[in-house]
Amino acid sequence: MKQILYLAWRYLAYHRFKTLILITAITLIFYVPVGLRVLVNQSAEQLTARAVGTPLVIGAKGSPLELVLNTLYFGSDVPATMHYTQFERVAESELASAIPVYTRFNVQGHPIVGTTLEYQSFRGLEIAAGRQMAVLGECVVGSRVAAALGVGPGDSVISSPESVFDIAGVYPLKMNVAGVLDFADGPDDDAIFVDIKTAWIIAGIGHGHQDLAQPGAVAGVLSRDDNEIVANASVMQYNEITEENRGSFHFHGELSDYPVTAVIAVPQDQRSSALLQGRYQNTDDVAQIVVPEGVMNELLATVLTVQRFVVAGAVLLGLATLASASLVFALSLRLRRREIDTLFRIGGSRAAVAMVMASEIVVVLAVGALLAATLTLATREFGAVLIRLLIRM
Amino acid sequence: MNRIAGVLLLAVAACSPSADEPTIRSGIGETRNTSGPLVVYVVNYPLLYFAERIGGAAVQAEFPAPLLDDPAYWQPGPVRIAEYQAADVIVRNGATYAKWIDLVTLPESKVVDTSTRFSDGFITVEGAATHSHGPEGEHTHGETAFTTWLDPLLAIEQAGAIRDAFVAARRDREAYFDTNFAALQSDLEALDARLVWLTRNAGDTPLLASHPVYQYFARRYGLNLESVHFEPDDMPDEAAWSALEQLVASHPARWMIWEGPPSDDIVDRLMSMGIGSVVYAPVGNRPAEGDFLAVMQQNVLNLQTIFPPE
Repeated sequence: MKQILYLAWRYLAYHRFKTLILITAITLIFYVPVGLRVLVNQSAEQLTARAVGTPLVIGAKGSPLELVLNTLYFGSDVPATMHYTQFERVAESELASAIPVYTRFNVQGHPIVGTTLEYQSFRGLEIAAGRQMAVLGECVVGSRVAAALGVGPGDSVISSPESVFDIAGVYPLKMNVAGVLDFADGPDDDAIFVDIKTAWIIAGIGHGHQDLAQPGAVAGVLSRDDNEIVANASVMQYNEITEENRGSFHFHGELSDYPVTAVIAVPQDQRSSALLQGRYQNTDDVAQIVVPEGVMNELLATVLTVQRFVVAGAVLLGLATLASASLVFALSLRLRRREIDTLFRIGGSRAAVAMVMASEIVVVLAVGALLAATLTLATREFGAVLIRLLIRM
Repeated sequence: MNRIAGVLLLAVAACSPSADEPTIRSGIGETRNTSGPLVVYVVNYPLLYFAERIGGAAVQAEFPAPLLDDPAYWQPGPVRIAEYQAADVIVRNGATYAKWIDLVTLPESKVVDTSTRFSDGFITVEGAATHSHGPEGEHTHGETAFTTWLDPLLAIEQAGAIRDAFVAARRDREAYFDTNFAALQSDLEALDARLVWLTRNAGDTPLLASHPVYQYFARRYGLNLESVHFEPDDMPDEAAWSALEQLVASHPARWMIWEGPPSDDIVDRLMSMGIGSVVYAPVGNRPAEGDFLAVMQQNVLNLQTIFPPE
């Protein structure tokens, strides 16, 4: 057997260019469909990991996909808002812990996420520099935000106006950066987190200004009826919350009417999850409840349908390549007729000669398969990193 | 050859889709302290007292406001706020007490508002200004009276909310907390019974208060109480005395209730108007001596000057 393999090896080594082409073709035949499938599965896992880790999301009736994309990935257009009472509804149900989310504003394209401290616990976010936000007007920023804007603890960021042309719109708010979050390898790295009350201040629901009951504020008073004061539009509102003016900040209207874009619900168990979902089945309900994993899987199923065509194409191509390789072997045998005759003349049996030929084929196939397997393992190992880089680009 | 077969098998396995099932988390993923004393942060001394009485050895109650500050208007800095954030339970009085708590960031799941149960019965402070922006704008809320614990029955409700929060955090100590709460409830009910008996003949007897902090106390015992803004150690100006005289003309009170002992010159000036002074300490912060119940019992004794117990 050794001699047979030696002869096969010497032949392949002598015709190295042809051997290399055949091995490459065999490798690609095996690797392309398998490696593609591995990459696609890893892509799907990467894209849905965050959705898998978020049990339920409640939002205003509308597109579930838009709700999930905005709440989990801070992408898509800002969905319709609903009242804070929807958060209270979940919190008081005793079926799930509730986290309110209000994402409407941004700082130079980086989303401002108004929420509670429970969000950071839920996502496992840790402070890497500085400290946790303590008072209204403070924020903590994701690691990529800190790098992109060049800010750290003690610096400040200013919320971007919603529209350059709306001079009567929301005032930008200057916020102090209390801390920078540790790298989380996800959308949270690109976000700026504030207390939801700070987000409401940016929205203008809460604000601070001089005390209208004081004599010095008479220019800002439109009318006064006993102790009810109506202020006019000349009252300047503070665009930064400081130690000196923090006490003047207040909110108008009822808390239950304040806006949120979503409520993340973390049920206690499967039964609680089912019960909570059941409470939103009424078609008259102003809110909807979605399972993010299901929404993302539907999206990926649609987007990745094309993979089947690609894999089918790769298989067809592989078959064609295999046929070509077979033709190469067949033609090669014909061209080696004199060589084969020589082997017979020097005493080689038909079986031995056949084994030499077969060994050449087996070696090429084996080396090709081995390379394909190695490439597949490498794809499985490093594909996730590559996909994350591509997602972030 | 075996090695090659193993590698090929691995390659095939790489093609299999994941079969992981989603799991439901319990809680928000935050690790709550499950052993050792429950760390509790409160916003005033009465709540500290209730937390310590109910929690006993199972609780480490903290109230970091400086001794001389009025906790209702204390503004903690970032270090103190971080301590509150790290607590297992954060107890707030509610009824707009300690407005700083609405201007800081605290984990909502840990905050217990002890006045929610009786929020329908909050007293709005008369004369406080509200404002809106433009004729169609929403008004701010009026001021709410916040010394709820001066009504022992409301204090029991607040203590009940604390008990419930402790039980939710440490189910295994429920019986212990219940026993301690029952003892506290008994003490507060005895206090209330004594005050009911003492004030049973108060009728419409006009009384004055040095500060508008006795609203719930007055409502509970049906007292005809009007308030001014006098500080115990700060002689009011002549305008304030004139205003008092005008008030007394329509509200002929013979006694003024004080948060703390007034200075001698104020006492003398009031005596010259025929008004005596009695201390009924709200004990919002730690007392110099004794505890909450001891101070309340002393308050009852002081009130006997106005309402003799015969």
